[in-house]
Amino acid sequence: MQILVVEDEAKVARALEEGLGREGYAVTVARTGEEGYYLLDTRTFDLVVLDLMLPGRNGLEILATLRGRDRGIPVLILTARDAVPDRVTGLDSGADDYLVKPFAFPELLARIRALLRRGRTEPVTRLNVADLEMDVLARRVTRAGKALELTSREFELLEYLLRNRGRVVSREMLVRDVWKETRRATPLDNVIDVHIARLRRKIDDHSEAKLIHTVRGVGFAVKEDA
Amino acid sequence: VILRPRHVRTRLTLWYVGVLSAVLALYAAFTLVFLYLSLREGLDRGLDAEFERVEDILTEASDGSIRMGGHDEGESLVEVWSPDGGLLFRSPQLEGQALGDAGSAGSGRGFTSITTPSGRPLRVLSHRHRLGQREVFMRVAISEEPLRHEWRELGVGLLVGLPLAIAIAGLGGHWLATRALAPIDDMARHAERLTADTLGERLPVENSEDELAHLARVFNLALARIEESFARLRRFTADVSHELRTPLTAIRSVGEVGLAERRNENEYRETIGSILEEADRLTVMVDTLLSLSRADAGEVKLDLKPVDLVALAGDVAAHLAVLAEEKAQRLDVEAAGPAVVAADRLVLRQALVNVVDNAIKYSPPGSRVRVVVRENGAASRIEVVDEGPGIAPEHRERIFERFYRVDAARSRERGGAGLGLSLAKWAMTAHGGRIEVESADGRGSTFRLSFPRAGTPGVPPAR
Repeated sequence: MQILVVEDEAKVARALEEGLGREGYAVTVARTGEEGYYLLDTRTFDLVVLDLMLPGRNGLEILATLRGRDRGIPVLILTARDAVPDRVTGLDSGADDYLVKPFAFPELLARIRALLRRGRTEPVTRLNVADLEMDVLARRVTRAGKALELTSREFELLEYLLRNRGRVVSREMLVRDVWKETRRATPLDNVIDVHIARLRRKIDDHSEAKLIHTVRGVGFAVKEDA
Repeated sequence: VILRPRHVRTRLTLWYVGVLSAVLALYAAFTLVFLYLSLREGLDRGLDAEFERVEDILTEASDGSIRMGGHDEGESLVEVWSPDGGLLFRSPQLEGQALGDAGSAGSGRGFTSITTPSGRPLRVLSHRHRLGQREVFMRVAISEEPLRHEWRELGVGLLVGLPLAIAIAGLGGHWLATRALAPIDDMARHAERLTADTLGERLPVENSEDELAHLARVFNLALARIEESFARLRRFTADVSHELRTPLTAIRSVGEVGLAERRNENEYRETIGSILEEADRLTVMVDTLLSLSRADAGEVKLDLKPVDLVALAGDVAAHLAVLAEEKAQRLDVEAAGPAVVAADRLVLRQALVNVVDNAIKYSPPGSRVRVVVRENGAASRIEVVDEGPGIAPEHRERIFERFYRVDAARSRERGGAGLGLSLAKWAMTAHGGRIEVESADGRGSTFRLSFPRAGTPGVPPAR
């Protein structure tokens, strides 16, 4: 998968290059709008991560030109301005998604996966990690064959973690996708912590192998070992 | 296009002088006409008397010629014509100049004004007269010179005097206008000097009720409001810097200490994680500040729809129930019946979440938090009643201020930035409602969110 990152801020650009590279994407970084424009003109990419505030050529201009000739390539906008008009302009000019800086890296990965996967998702109804199994349709969860009693919120939380198995899930993602809230707030963070703690008690307390991991400062992950 | 003078005082003066000139010109014209008429009336009366006197002293000689008797013969201006147009007598003082033409001698009657060929203005009275056996036609004249002289004198007097009077009045008017408008100049000068640092200055207000004193007072009030918002902004900026400094300090020292010596992987992970936590805290804080500043700027448009406070309270309680459970607290919703208000559900929900979250946070384990929805004729209210330590009187007013924390260290440890209640307050004010706190030290607190019943919710205020 070829990803073009158009980002002028050196540190952010390097972090994106390394972080996306680690996920197995082939990353090309353009540090100016002109360069990004040139690369888009000469090479083929599967996805573009585009910073809106760029020297040389404005991100929105690049987007408009790109959309003028190639409708298919997914574009994810990064913007420091989260004022509503900017978002609307970005989406109107043909961006497929946007992220407001500062963003959580797991969230960026999730959005990129979603954009690349778009249109070809097959519903998965059975999820598992190690000896933890979930039947989404029957709403049943077992660990080592033993059924677990989960509240519906705990079930949704675990389902989300399992669907992102092996990857870190940020609080922002949980707020948006599990709690369906529009914005993150301190009370909600505490609520998430409590639910994670309860889930952990039910799933991991009686088992040697811990499955739910906290990645300090980043989020949570379900995987077989630390 | 009329040239528009730059200064109000000049415009005032010009208008004033213009109106005054018109009035005075009218007055002068009337005076001159009236004086002329009245002078001529006097002249005509004199002419009448002269006519009668001349009648008496005119005699017909035996040869048919006419003579004038009496000793004052030399001053009278008299002509006597025969009906057929022959000149019978003419005073020598007329020096052969006619008082009227011969042709009109038979018909002309009454007063006329003439000017003799030598340029003498005369007033002439013509009349038929029986002299002896004959019908004659008499003309008697007196000079109009004195009348004209007097009239001209007045005319000159007016012509010179009026412009002078107008000029004096104009100067006086200009002076008065300048004086009356001086306070406005003062205000303008004051406003020109205004900078953020001199906002504390005020215009002197004279102790009167006139328009200018009113203007000065209004100006001062505006200054006071600007000064207040500047002060608020300064305080806010200082608070924000302080709040940002805390996580920044943590990031810096954790990073520096982490780099100070070689560590194993887990220790590095801990260090980086700790830095990320602070970055996360900063992100949340900046987001919250951004929404507050949007609210301040009036950019938040409330999406008003009917909201049942009971359902809302239930939703919030369900949302936060796990937090109460963790502390073995009871979180109850009490309501007599539905209470519907027009509100933006998301904004209101966030406000209630903040208040209930606070109640749970500050109440001891095992206690009870009640969310009570009340409705009476005048207002709908949500009360959040806790059994916590209560809030000391000195904190009660200030807990709704941004960044104000009763116990800063403890609150920060729980992840609070001191913005929850100020957001709640903004939300309530934007809905035209209020948030108040009632508390007895040691016996819990009650936060009361009240809405005016069925009233139109207010426009979000500017603060």
